[in-house]
Amino acid sequence: MVKLLIEAFLLAMRQLRIKKVRTLLILLGISVGVAAVVGVTSLGEGIRVNAVEEIQKSHDLTLIEVSPGLSNGNIILITESKVRAVRESGSVVAPYVKDAYVTSNKTYFEVNGISAEYMDAKNLQLETGMWFKEGTYQIVLGSDVGEKFSKIEGAEIGNSIDATIRLYGEEGRAIDKDITFIIAGRLKPTGTDTDTDDQAFIDINVARELTGKDVYDGIMVKLDKSSQAPGARTAIEKLGLTCYSAQDEIDSVNKIMNGVTLVLAFFSGISLIVGGLMIINTMIVSVYERTHEIGITKAIGASEPDIIRMFLSECIIIGVLGGILGDLLGIIFSFLIDRVGRPMLIAQLGIGDFEHLTVINIQILVAGFLISLVISVIAGIYPAWRGAKLDPVKALRQL
Amino acid sequence: MYMVETRGLGKYYTFGSGNQVVALNDVNLAVASGEFVSIMGPSGSGKSTLLNIVGCLDKPSSGDVYIDDEKIDYGNAGSLVKLHRQTMGFVFQGFNLISTMNALENVWYPMYFNKIPKSERKERAEELLESVGLRDRALHLPSELSGGEQQRVSIARALANNPRLILADEPTGNIDSKTGGKIIDLMKKLNKEQGITFIVTTHDMVMANNADRVITITDGEIID
Repeated sequence: MVKLLIEAFLLAMRQLRIKKVRTLLILLGISVGVAAVVGVTSLGEGIRVNAVEEIQKSHDLTLIEVSPGLSNGNIILITESKVRAVRESGSVVAPYVKDAYVTSNKTYFEVNGISAEYMDAKNLQLETGMWFKEGTYQIVLGSDVGEKFSKIEGAEIGNSIDATIRLYGEEGRAIDKDITFIIAGRLKPTGTDTDTDDQAFIDINVARELTGKDVYDGIMVKLDKSSQAPGARTAIEKLGLTCYSAQDEIDSVNKIMNGVTLVLAFFSGISLIVGGLMIINTMIVSVYERTHEIGITKAIGASEPDIIRMFLSECIIIGVLGGILGDLLGIIFSFLIDRVGRPMLIAQLGIGDFEHLTVINIQILVAGFLISLVISVIAGIYPAWRGAKLDPVKALRQL
Repeated sequence: MYMVETRGLGKYYTFGSGNQVVALNDVNLAVASGEFVSIMGPSGSGKSTLLNIVGCLDKPSSGDVYIDDEKIDYGNAGSLVKLHRQTMGFVFQGFNLISTMNALENVWYPMYFNKIPKSERKERAEELLESVGLRDRALHLPSELSGGEQQRVSIARALANNPRLILADEPTGNIDSKTGGKIIDLMKKLNKEQGITFIVTTHDMVMANNADRVITITDGEIID
């Protein structure tokens, strides 16, 4: 059976060789279409990969930020029991509280009540001074807050800072509470994590005591590997809590770029329709030319499926060769976009921190190949059917 | 038992203007197994049409055809293909070899559609070419062969699937009388030695004289 199939292709091959120029032109037609799709897709893929790499460089993909969830209009708070449940999902689980304070000079700043696990999860590093001692009003400032305090308040390490927090009583009455923090240290600027740079940090137990909170405002979950992130997220989201990680940004970049690439590929793929029409036209001419031969093959025992197979074999060969040729041209096309486009982008937009503008991967090449194959076969169906339906008597009469 | 039998066979063509042309009218014909029948008649008498209908290349307008006492179901494409593959072979006036295939390939082509493995096919095709005396021309294209040689290749092709019936439409019509004589001898030999039934349309008196029986058709009707 396999041997007969191979033979069918060899016979089809011979037909294509007889019509060399015509076959070559069809191949060119279909492969230019494939090359356009491959080239454009590689550009889209290149932009996507560069954007994702950019996100990965500045974000920790093993970190999940958990915040209170919302379900049917009810807020799901992070209670002790939720924290215990979350602990099963990550290697480092650091709950924290977050409050806004204002200095006597009306400088607002955000204070996170954190534990040692939080420092570990976020990899917080001191620039000067030391960490707060547990159970004290010592405070460690993020780099931006530190700079602000130094400029506005004139407060340096070792100085104290007077701050007020506004709490609300049971009847919604505002209660202002005054605290004096002592600046213990200052963090290194993270460069990318602006949240941390804008925050100050105190002992979590002190922070909770100050506000009287019995729930947490968030949890930092640190994983061993980024591959564990999806599983951990699902588990945490099942608890009704909300998750955020850099993966969200990557996902949205992927979504946007996939959409953009699809639209670009669609327009560049219009040339494939032309290629398909070329195949239909050529195959119809071929059926017409071989009418007499089809009559003979019917008389000597070929069935209608045999004739259809005969023509579709030719189309499959065209599709395979067109796909390979199209992929090769596509690689060249993509290389040219990279060579010409990248320096232009760097010169015009001043962005230059990427190695390649285009990315070719196996999926793009396989897709290009399959597009060529599918279009060739679809284009061959009608001509093949016409050949199979020829009246043998009329076909034999035609010379 | 008849190899071929037609009962009340008719073929009519109706043209746009409503004119009806009768190609065959009430043809009743019985050909015994192993018989060599020659059909004679002027051009346009309907003898080719008769051959095409018996050969399942065309459909009758009325009446039935029986092969091996079994009624042909012209609506069943599969059964017609089976008859082409197993029961009958064709020889045409214009040889009808496939121009892009050499003699050997032309002979094994029917076996290809019969799903016979390539080695077996090739062996049998060589034997058949040998039997028509063209072993040494096996790799020649039809265009490199004379008319007589081409017709012998097409007889070898007709024999490819061991048919019991060969339908030949003016097999000597396109070749000179001397070569034609050889073709007639070859067909007679196959008829005598292998018992293959032949139905041959012809204008050739030599062919007619060699037949077991001559049937004459005029205006789509058999004249006794």
